[in-house]
Amino acid sequence: MEKYEKLEKVGEGTYGKVYKAKDKVTGQLVALKKTRLEMDEEGVPPTALREVSLLQMLSQTIYIVRLLCVEHVDNKNGKPLLYLVFEYLDTDLKKFVDTYRRGPNPRPVPSSVIQSFMFQLCKGVAHCHSHGVLHRDLKPQNLLVDKEKGILKIADLGLGRAFTVPLKSYTHEIVTLWYRAPEVLLGSTHYSTGVDMWSVGCIFAEMARRQALFPGDSELQQLLHIFRLLGTPSEEQWPGVSALRDWHEYPQWKPQNLARAVPSLEADGVDLLTKMLQYDPANRISAKEALEHPYFDSLDKSQF
Amino acid sequence: MEYELENPLTGFEEHQSDTIPSLFSSESDHMTYISTSKNRDLDVSVRRQAIPMIFQFSCNSDPFIPYLAVNYLDRFISRQELPHGKPWMIKLLCISCLSLAEKMKQNDFSLTDDIQRKEGFIFDTETIQRMELLILGALKWRMRSITPFSFIYFFLSLLKLKDPSLRQALKNRATQIIFTSQHEIKLLEFKHSIIAASALISASHELFPLQFPSFRTAISSCIYINKEKLLDCWNVMNSTVMNSYESVFDMIISLSTNNTPVNVLDLHFSTTTSQSEKAAAAAATVMKTERDIKRRKISGDDLRYCNEKAFQVTQIQQC
Repeated sequence: MEKYEKLEKVGEGTYGKVYKAKDKVTGQLVALKKTRLEMDEEGVPPTALREVSLLQMLSQTIYIVRLLCVEHVDNKNGKPLLYLVFEYLDTDLKKFVDTYRRGPNPRPVPSSVIQSFMFQLCKGVAHCHSHGVLHRDLKPQNLLVDKEKGILKIADLGLGRAFTVPLKSYTHEIVTLWYRAPEVLLGSTHYSTGVDMWSVGCIFAEMARRQALFPGDSELQQLLHIFRLLGTPSEEQWPGVSALRDWHEYPQWKPQNLARAVPSLEADGVDLLTKMLQYDPANRISAKEALEHPYFDSLDKSQF
Repeated sequence: MEYELENPLTGFEEHQSDTIPSLFSSESDHMTYISTSKNRDLDVSVRRQAIPMIFQFSCNSDPFIPYLAVNYLDRFISRQELPHGKPWMIKLLCISCLSLAEKMKQNDFSLTDDIQRKEGFIFDTETIQRMELLILGALKWRMRSITPFSFIYFFLSLLKLKDPSLRQALKNRATQIIFTSQHEIKLLEFKHSIIAASALISASHELFPLQFPSFRTAISSCIYINKEKLLDCWNVMNSTVMNSYESVFDMIISLSTNNTPVNVLDLHFSTTTSQSEKAAAAAATVMKTERDIKRRKISGDDLRYCNEKAFQVTQIQQC
């Protein structure tokens, strides 16, 4: 680890601190992530081994933050500790959208940027899903952005598989529920790629609105936010919903017009968003299908 | 996500075809470079000592575990020099490769503990862990190896075999050939996709001689395949597999006191059985087939077996 000079703490990932650092020889900026996967009697822990090799495989595409290498250092007790070294991007989608909402010159995020970021996000998610990996914690903070180049990449991948996504991170920060799919909130145990597509939909709406679509502060409030906009789900609409573990009787809301929640979004965009926010996960659009949606017809795909 | 050698890039079967281009584009990251390395002689000698050790240590385990361990070993020794004159180092390397392989395969039973107990030599956990980390570093943590097994599904799909039992028979035989030929150093210079293609061609040559020309054309005209390399690889593979039959056969000869192995070689296919039944039978009796092929080879030298054998070979060729 002497190779790197720690510059500053840039965040608290769900699984540990993240530092911005510089490679002393090449000057390359990197993000250092301590994994807290300490060695024990079985040598390199199997979970670490499998997760890191999975990450290594997934980071072969430009839509995923690249894992540059894995370094191990000895901690105070002489036990090796793993650091993951990732490529560094200067900001994340949350901070990026905030600069349009706040600051001296509040204005909408340009629709061409939303379109391009959504395309890159769907590309990245399709890549993960085609490799059998769910992200399960997609949110603007986990999407890193290079403002100058207009690049968006998915981060914080892989480690989510070994540990169930916790409600509180290790620093006792509340883990956000805003992007969580209704089937997860209702306690379904057999969820699949649809959970990520729900999050993608929430992120899509948030870029257009410059604020979260469903900002719940508890699991119940989160569900009520969703129901108030999309209507309380029924058995006809979502077969099996009332049999889910955490289903209760809820107030009956009628669905609102989704276009009104995202007034700046064009019709094709609203159509795509509607397909991402389907209640029944089986009806939700897949990332691969989303890439073919007419919303992206006007995008110059040769740049990707 | 579980790691299957036959399907390293995805956990979802329906996505298997989506990952074909990335399989071919990333296989070079998983190549070994022993045949071109400047320390070739040393690497070869380490390999010769290590492979039998890995197989000895892992007897009765899932055969993919020693296979994967040897894959790690090859990739490691072609990237990292081992200190000279430390025989225990090779043992440590073998144990660590096996330990990594069984963790990747989520083996419940710890081979490494078992080896240590049986062999009566003890490396402490820390030593094994250091070696594991050294291997992981050299392999850049790319432990979901792309191996010849990863390409079998794809090449098999090119053959358009409708009958699942034929497909299974061919796949099983190709799998065996890949296992059998792993030790052959000359095969290390070929891409894993070429090895997989050769193994399938060899398997079809043995099991379905009639369809063999069309299978060979289907595989060799695939855009990912260099025909010359495929032919070279197939030749190496054939002689490797043939040598292994010889050793099996020699063993049978030496075991058989009355020197009449003929009765165990009987392969009777009724002309009325369906092709799929024959294929299943052929797969089930591959060992017998192997011996027959051996007999085909020695027939010129040993005429005692000739008459019966000639009958059997024509029977095999009809199936």
